[in-house]
Amino acid sequence: MELTQEPVVRMRDVTKRIGSKTLIDRLTLDIPRGQVYGFLGPNGAGKTTTIRMMVGLMSISEGDILIEGASIKDRFEEAISHVGAIVENPEMYKFLTGYQNLLHYARMSPGVTKERIWEAVERVGMQNRIHDKVKTYSLGMRQRLGVAQAILHRPKLLVLDEPTNGLDPQGIRELRDYLRALAREEGTTVFVSSHLLSEMELMCDTVAVIQQGRLVDVKSLHPEAAEGRALETAFDVSDPQRAAALIEGGHLEGGRLIVSADRKAVAEINAKLVMAGIDVYAIQAVTRSLEDQFLELTGGKDIE
Amino acid sequence: MNNFLALVQNENMKIYRRVRTWIMFGLLVLLTILFGVLFSLDGGSQRMSAWDALDQLSFLYYLVSIYAAVIAADIVAGEFTWGTIKLLLIRPWTRTKVLLSKLLAVLLFTLAMSAVFFVIALAVSFLIFSNEPSQYLGDSPLSRILESLLYSYVDLLVIAAFSFMLSTVFRSSGIAIGLSIFILFAGNIFTLLFHPSRYAWAKYLLFTNMDLGQYRGGQVGPAGMTLGFSITVLAVYVLLFLAVAWLVFKKRDVAA
Repeated sequence: MELTQEPVVRMRDVTKRIGSKTLIDRLTLDIPRGQVYGFLGPNGAGKTTTIRMMVGLMSISEGDILIEGASIKDRFEEAISHVGAIVENPEMYKFLTGYQNLLHYARMSPGVTKERIWEAVERVGMQNRIHDKVKTYSLGMRQRLGVAQAILHRPKLLVLDEPTNGLDPQGIRELRDYLRALAREEGTTVFVSSHLLSEMELMCDTVAVIQQGRLVDVKSLHPEAAEGRALETAFDVSDPQRAAALIEGGHLEGGRLIVSADRKAVAEINAKLVMAGIDVYAIQAVTRSLEDQFLELTGGKDIE
Repeated sequence: MNNFLALVQNENMKIYRRVRTWIMFGLLVLLTILFGVLFSLDGGSQRMSAWDALDQLSFLYYLVSIYAAVIAADIVAGEFTWGTIKLLLIRPWTRTKVLLSKLLAVLLFTLAMSAVFFVIALAVSFLIFSNEPSQYLGDSPLSRILESLLYSYVDLLVIAAFSFMLSTVFRSSGIAIGLSIFILFAGNIFTLLFHPSRYAWAKYLLFTNMDLGQYRGGQVGPAGMTLGFSITVLAVYVLLFLAVAWLVFKKRDVAA
């Protein structure tokens, strides 16, 4: 990750008020370049509101959002030209064909040629149905067309609001692979919102957690890259009590011995246990899922 | 900065790729032919001049006004109903330019429909009836007919602007179509109720000024109203409608 580079998006104290209700409260967030960046929160936390402000569909009450250095408030045309987006469902003109829909959006961005439209069509695998009317499309096909319109002008930032809603597992998988490929191959930064934790875990490099309009946490999701890091490891053994007494820093949890250890230490502990005549049935890394962490962060709170 | 005309082209595509638009065209052509035939079947009017027939057929221009109201009602509201507004407004174009492209597309549509209507009505009149001097329209029948069609076109533009505003404000084509057509037909009733000869302020009402046909041939309207006066009042109303539409469209948060 090129940490030296400017973030694609800078949100500064972004606040949205409607009447006396504060939907988004001083949200400050940088989205680093080239990442798949998740935006996680329960329903009603303000994800869609934030995204709508990002793309200029909603006004910002206070603060500002800069996209590639241009304010979405004051330099809308410049800022938005870097963005491709699907906000909620990919709604298309049903009476037009898929191709006519793409042509419509292509005309609105400079430099999108017929070849580029076709490239986008191939990219999402819609060659065979692109000249059919959108009303004949399944949701999965409309989602693909939605992605195609969003990438037509090769945006630096792709914003997707709950993209997996209503997709079947096959469709979700395709979308996930596709987004990762886009970030890897074309360096596109992808900002994707969801309330599905498992989904985010598979797709994102970093996740920002939002709750009741406030940023709760920002987490990096692939820390394994850092070699030699100590992980919580569980040992399933024949005599947990004796094992716990034997291993320094170990404790029992659900009849298993839990130790924080890196790879090397795990092997040593194993040897130690076996030498002491304790049978080791299984050794597992305890990865607290994002779901656990998420519930820890947001748990127990109600929607205001 | 890329080509603004591309936006108008897009709006045109969204109008003319819909089956509905072609049903409108078809119905207009069919009804014009049908009424032409009916007039010719009417006993005694065999000797009707083609010019008089054309003048009679002009009442069908109401249909074009209705179409204009329908298209103007849908052009903004439709995007909200379909949810496509969210994809339309995240392009490198300000909302003002997007709205302007829609307004231009409506204008082009009214011109196209009017031209089609005039050509068809002219063709039907001269194919069915004989080219004799008019009994009612004086020496230059064509200019008389064009004059009243022009008046009707101004009314149509007012209706279209009204519908366009309602479409933008309420984001519902149903309300916009309903109210515009109501104005189109109920205008006369309002004029009777609030006649400028009885109420001085009534001459500033929209309805009172809508029927420019009352000034045909240089006549003066009630309470000293003139063609110039009515056109000024209508222009103010149209500008007001468009200003409201623009402000609302520019400022509105696009949610849901």
